[in-house]
Amino acid sequence: MATTATRWVPTTCGMCYVGCGVRVRLEDGVVRSIEGDPNHPQNRGNMCAKGKAGVMSLYNPRRVQAPLKRTNPNKGLRVDPAWQEISWEEALSTIAAKLQEIHDDPKKLYVQSWESSGDLHTWLLNLGSAFGSPHLNNNASPTCGKVIHPVEFFSGGGFHQQPDLHYCQYLILVGTQFGIATRGAFNHMLRDMADARARGMKLVAIDPIGAFAASKANEWVPIRPGTDTALALSMLHVLLNELGIYDAEYLKHHTNAPYLVGPDGRYVREAGSGKPLIFDAADDQVKRHDDPTLRDPALTGGGQGGRPTFELLREHVAQYPPERTEEITTIPAKTLRRIAREFGEAASIGSTIRIDGVELPYRPVCVDWAKGSQGHKHGFHQCWPLKLLNIVVGAVNVPGGILSTAAAGKKPHRWWPEGGTDGMLEKGGNVMPVPHPKAFPGRTPTKPIRLDLAELFPLAPHFGTLLPITAQNGERYGLSYGMTVMLHSPVNSLFSSFGDHKMVESFYRSIPFIAGFAVEINETNLFDDIILPFPHYLERFDFTTGTGTRSIPICGMDDYYWTVRHPAVELPKGIRHPQEVIMEIADRVGILSDLYRLINHAFRLKEPYALQPGQRYSAPALMDVMTRCWFGEERGLPWFQENGVIRLSRDVEEAYIGRSLHARIPIYLEHFLDRGEELREVTSQMGLEWDLSDYKPLSEWMPCPSYDALRKGQYDFIAVHYKLPYVYGAFANENPWINELCESIPYAYSVLVNADAARAKGIQEGDVVWLETPAAKMTVKVTLTQCIHPEVVGIAGHFGHWSPGMPIAQGKGVNFNSLLPTDMEHIDKISTALDHCVPVKLSHTPPRGYIKPYFGP
Amino acid sequence: MNGNEDFRDQNALAIKVRFLGDLPAVVGGRDTTVSLPQGSRVRDLVTSLCERYGDGFRHRVVSQSGALHHDILIFLNGENIDEIGELAARLEGNPDMEIIMLPAFEGG
Repeated sequence: MATTATRWVPTTCGMCYVGCGVRVRLEDGVVRSIEGDPNHPQNRGNMCAKGKAGVMSLYNPRRVQAPLKRTNPNKGLRVDPAWQEISWEEALSTIAAKLQEIHDDPKKLYVQSWESSGDLHTWLLNLGSAFGSPHLNNNASPTCGKVIHPVEFFSGGGFHQQPDLHYCQYLILVGTQFGIATRGAFNHMLRDMADARARGMKLVAIDPIGAFAASKANEWVPIRPGTDTALALSMLHVLLNELGIYDAEYLKHHTNAPYLVGPDGRYVREAGSGKPLIFDAADDQVKRHDDPTLRDPALTGGGQGGRPTFELLREHVAQYPPERTEEITTIPAKTLRRIAREFGEAASIGSTIRIDGVELPYRPVCVDWAKGSQGHKHGFHQCWPLKLLNIVVGAVNVPGGILSTAAAGKKPHRWWPEGGTDGMLEKGGNVMPVPHPKAFPGRTPTKPIRLDLAELFPLAPHFGTLLPITAQNGERYGLSYGMTVMLHSPVNSLFSSFGDHKMVESFYRSIPFIAGFAVEINETNLFDDIILPFPHYLERFDFTTGTGTRSIPICGMDDYYWTVRHPAVELPKGIRHPQEVIMEIADRVGILSDLYRLINHAFRLKEPYALQPGQRYSAPALMDVMTRCWFGEERGLPWFQENGVIRLSRDVEEAYIGRSLHARIPIYLEHFLDRGEELREVTSQMGLEWDLSDYKPLSEWMPCPSYDALRKGQYDFIAVHYKLPYVYGAFANENPWINELCESIPYAYSVLVNADAARAKGIQEGDVVWLETPAAKMTVKVTLTQCIHPEVVGIAGHFGHWSPGMPIAQGKGVNFNSLLPTDMEHIDKISTALDHCVPVKLSHTPPRGYIKPYFGP
Repeated sequence: MNGNEDFRDQNALAIKVRFLGDLPAVVGGRDTTVSLPQGSRVRDLVTSLCERYGDGFRHRVVSQSGALHHDILIFLNGENIDEIGELAARLEGNPDMEIIMLPAFEGG
């Protein structure tokens, strides 16, 4: 009997954007299983279903194994490209030639770079930057991150937010399933959440759908979609005006709450210096915000014709008593009051905790939110007052409160957030020296040159969602050109990055040449002219292995870490490492040295490790030079191949930056007024009607179109999206194990409807009915439940595939994004988020004008 | 100090400027040359470029407080000016300068 050669390879998972540590078991060179690495701080040995299923994606018989070109020049959602295998030489020379054609007008290059599990994201972005294009789309979704990142950078200092589950005692999740079904540092947070609940932390899930988070919560509070602003403002009213609960010392010394504001809504400023002024109650003097003699900044009263922003906030939120908010949100007034009181009392304002000998404020409460609150027409203002709840009780970057991810660190090098304009937090921290999405102080609007209209969104972090809209009518915005070349990552952007598929189809058809990477041929690849095969994560080298190191690591005192993804199995002969492919394209276009300069900057590569013009590097050589540059000569690639991960301990100062940050955070967004006025002037000159109602320093609740559509009786329900813990975007829908899970669970491929509301319309469990939105019509299977708001339809995942390259996923489930009207009316004018609460009708009768859009149910 | 291409002083610095990222679309080209008096600094060059290319360029490179926007990166003879004095870095010889508007790194 032959013996089996077994070996274990420590590397990094790539089945979602986190990057957990894994140990891959191989027998005779074949992957037999993938286990969690118990020494890895990210997942501490835990694995999720996605990670376990990675082996099936590796051995997917339909993986692209060589470059392909389309032979059918016609493009469309249902058009067969008639692929033909070609050589790498033909593929690369074709791409280089197309880029050379637009060398003198590089803005005609569009790069869709999101691939956050590895290095391609950074390399593709920087290829586009070196080429000279402004159209570099770095994000995955038309909602995700649109508000959380800019808000967090000016009010926390990092990329994202994370409740401090080590100390939190009262956590409110609004439209997110953090620590239970989704989000960064996923496998780590699952255990922390379980521990916190076992310890006695109260968990309140406020969500239209009683999904996974609600099932674990002490209390599920159904809310009408798109009404989070009213919820938050009302809770602020109860805290500030009814109960008088707020952290005055924190507000005085760490926020702009004492800044004086004049009748025009702007800061009262010192003549000459232009610095904002504060009234010091200690000596009844008005002083500059940075006056070293300032002792007792006043939160009430005023001076020099101004009043503190805190007073304005208190007056403003008084417009939202819980009784009014009940009509908007459907949350009973007494429930809202009780939750606000419990939250305020649990904040333990004034208490402290000693950690490692350091005394810190102890604020064991958080309100956490993410995608659900962002995806609205007024998405910014849906979210910002939720963050304000944490700020007014001082629960920001202190034990028990909301923590800003990746904001600061000391190893392997030092990075820290910094103050700037008006003494406010301006420059967020990042382990890699690359720019953050940013909303303070924002940019000055100008007449657009960019097709994504970035110039008209001076506070937004990214703009890609606009492209299918402007591609319809660029002339409307004074833009007389279109994209000529598109390069993209293997991500299925058609499914996940925009709304209405017909709009995306029109956009992609307008681009004469598209080349992209592919693992399997998804719906986006159907528009490609050239496809380049992309390695599976068990075949790749990556220095950045996911958000777990780069932007959404574990917060608090748990170890930070770095790791390198390296192959467990050999790269198939027809596939190349993506870094090497990007280098080759850059060389052929004559921009390799520019690319190196940007890569050296992005990866902090200093001499003697900096990439040298004229030299070429293999992927393993890149990993080796990067690891030695960051961790010393003794810790090159071989060290990581043997050890897997380097743990980097954190001290209290790094873990809890709240009170040591030399910058204030806002409760009043004064700069919104100026950006709005500037935008009014630019759009007026352009003859554009532009909704400027969001450019306010204090949030107001404004309804989404779906809210009005239901009130007018035009539609029956509001459809919202929710996440499944075993599905990451549209990624791995073709994985047979993931599919098996989804098929075994009654709601993954169907839509959730409130049982009573459905029966009132004659709809029963398991019925296949017509679903109609302003953008799409299709049939769906219904699952009835009591765990959903009666006005809501819940749709999970990003399913509904039709690509012939994905036969397992074909015809299953619904692609939520395809339901979304995609026009300026549904875009948040602050963040560019696309409205994700869409009005729907459910009926047994086919809607008028229905045309089967593509393969599928 | 006001630099422009018409500056005729034989002792003037001739600075080659390359634009990457967002900026070629803003200025309508990848390269230009700027003449400035000896002793000029990076700040003078930025001021000169703002005058040449107008508000479209100015608003993308310089914030209202006069600082460089956080996503603007300037290399002087291959060195990041953050490490050699920032905007006060001296222009010496006939330097090469690259001004890069970096792409926002990641979203979600």
